[in-house]
Amino acid sequence: MNSETPEKGLYGWLERRYHLSSLVHFLRHKEVPLGAHSALWYYLGGTTLFFLTIQIASGVLLLGYYQPGESTSYESIRFITTKVPFGWLVRSAHCWSAHLMIISLVVHMFSTMIIKAYRPPRELTWVTGFVLFALALCFGFSGYLLPWNELAFFATSVGTDSVKSVPILGQWMLEVLRGGPDVTIQTLYRFFALHVAVLPMAIVAIVGLHLIFIQRQGMAPPLGHLKSIRSMRFFPDFAMRDLLLWLICLIGLTTLAFLLPYGPGIPGMDWELGKKANPLAPAYPGIKPEWYFLWVYQLLKEFPPHVFRMEGPQAALLVVTVLLGVWALVPWLDRNAAKGRLSPAFTDLAVAALLFIGYLTLMAWDIGGHQTGNAQPDAQAVARTTGLLTIAVGVATTAARILINRHRWFVFSGAALVHVALHGLFGLPYLTAGVIAFWLMVAVLAALLIHSRLQARRAQLVQGGPP
Amino acid sequence: MKKPPAPSPSRRGFLNWFLGLGVIGWLGSILYPVIRYLSPQQGSSAGGPVKLSGEELQQLQRRLFTIVRSGTDRILVFEDGSQQVRALAAKCTHEGCTVQFVPGEAVVWCACHNGRFDLDGRVLSGPPPRPLPRYLVKREGDGSVSVALEKA
Repeated sequence: MNSETPEKGLYGWLERRYHLSSLVHFLRHKEVPLGAHSALWYYLGGTTLFFLTIQIASGVLLLGYYQPGESTSYESIRFITTKVPFGWLVRSAHCWSAHLMIISLVVHMFSTMIIKAYRPPRELTWVTGFVLFALALCFGFSGYLLPWNELAFFATSVGTDSVKSVPILGQWMLEVLRGGPDVTIQTLYRFFALHVAVLPMAIVAIVGLHLIFIQRQGMAPPLGHLKSIRSMRFFPDFAMRDLLLWLICLIGLTTLAFLLPYGPGIPGMDWELGKKANPLAPAYPGIKPEWYFLWVYQLLKEFPPHVFRMEGPQAALLVVTVLLGVWALVPWLDRNAAKGRLSPAFTDLAVAALLFIGYLTLMAWDIGGHQTGNAQPDAQAVARTTGLLTIAVGVATTAARILINRHRWFVFSGAALVHVALHGLFGLPYLTAGVIAFWLMVAVLAALLIHSRLQARRAQLVQGGPP
Repeated sequence: MKKPPAPSPSRRGFLNWFLGLGVIGWLGSILYPVIRYLSPQQGSSAGGPVKLSGEELQQLQRRLFTIVRSGTDRILVFEDGSQQVRALAAKCTHEGCTVQFVPGEAVVWCACHNGRFDLDGRVLSGPPPRPLPRYLVKREGDGSVSVALEKA
């Protein structure tokens, strides 16, 4: 604003007090880099934030009627969905937007991984994003218990039981989390406090930090272009596109919430209330957690009772922790991207992660396991069918990467496919297949390292000439 | 000009150390009551011997198994092929789901991760790392069933 002609009206009044002109100046000059990859990837953080807003708004509405308690939790949810006008819609919107938020968040995270937007100086943006992913999973897990139905009870029993795998403090942590040795209404009280107070405060704080980092540093330009070739003005060009996409998301969400108020009926994406929780009822056949926990669920199922000196679940959860730890530390592990060079190994790591998680998720859905007509799915038939599916997707992706993206590095995704083939097609136990694939991968990585060292040495000798 | 004497490093070090100790003490005095507050009031407790109620006996007759509570333990009471009543811990040793008796296959099964146990609680297949603890169970002359506190 021109300081010689002071603004009038409300803006002028605010400007004189809060100096908004610097903010306006910032918005006017903020730009979004465009380049080697689609600008679509830049909108996914915004859609995740949009679904989070819907979560908060619909959650507040649900709080108007929900009553935590042994004889009120289940009953109040039933009251909301059957008696309160549009109560079914509010609950449906809350559940749908929870799933859509996780989908948007996961796609955002993988796209950030593939375009290497985590590279310095944006390491902490990645880390805060990873924390937000963990918080979103905690939201899903704690919210799952609140209807106090059968599914909620067993999902929470299994999920919280995993905590006892933590050495030394495990049992104590389990009891603190549950409010006792077993899942009871005390657990629900604790999860309610987490779901409506602790986690919202934490997520708002970390979202704030994540956004501050992005505003301070701008969006990451495409790799290999320190200053991107083209750019788009954030305001109004990008912001209006963002708004349009949010409108499309809102239309999609309301359509889904209206047409499928209890979910699409896919195991792990289904919120029929069912029966009230009864700690003295056995777990029912086909019980599954939410779709984003299915890979961990299947891993727990595939691990043998004992691995070395550990119990199976403990070993499985150690593997999950190590994998998530590697994922969180990617900005520091990817040295090539840090130096602005192409980083095919980490693109391949993202593809391998998708194949690894995809295969376990497909197996958890028991695809191809009911062909024999048995009530219980045939585990070998499931592994074979889902193995073939995963390999088909893996081969198609690799072909597309070779032909379109000219990728030449497939060690991690190759190891993931070998793992799937050994388990699904050759019938080896999951862990044995995984160990063989892992050591094959290590051998290939060692061979590649030796080869590159030898090449460097040869180049040095050629440069130096004959002695 | 004469420089003022620099503060003694040992004095500064002592003050820093003292301040650090104060911060730790302050944090501890806040965290300790919070941790005590959040720790459950009651830990695991085994209840006394259990006598099956009329409803539980009916359930045992109808579907050949029932699940009863004793303290914080859940116990699976079932009738095998030779009409002998048996009792096992109902909490799966894998991830804590509640197991059930499958009369047709004469196994105890956990639906969560497909763990299977024989009628003595030994692991037959699947991921459970340990057998299910057994309980002593007795059927009286009047048809009532009681589960003893001691594990078999």
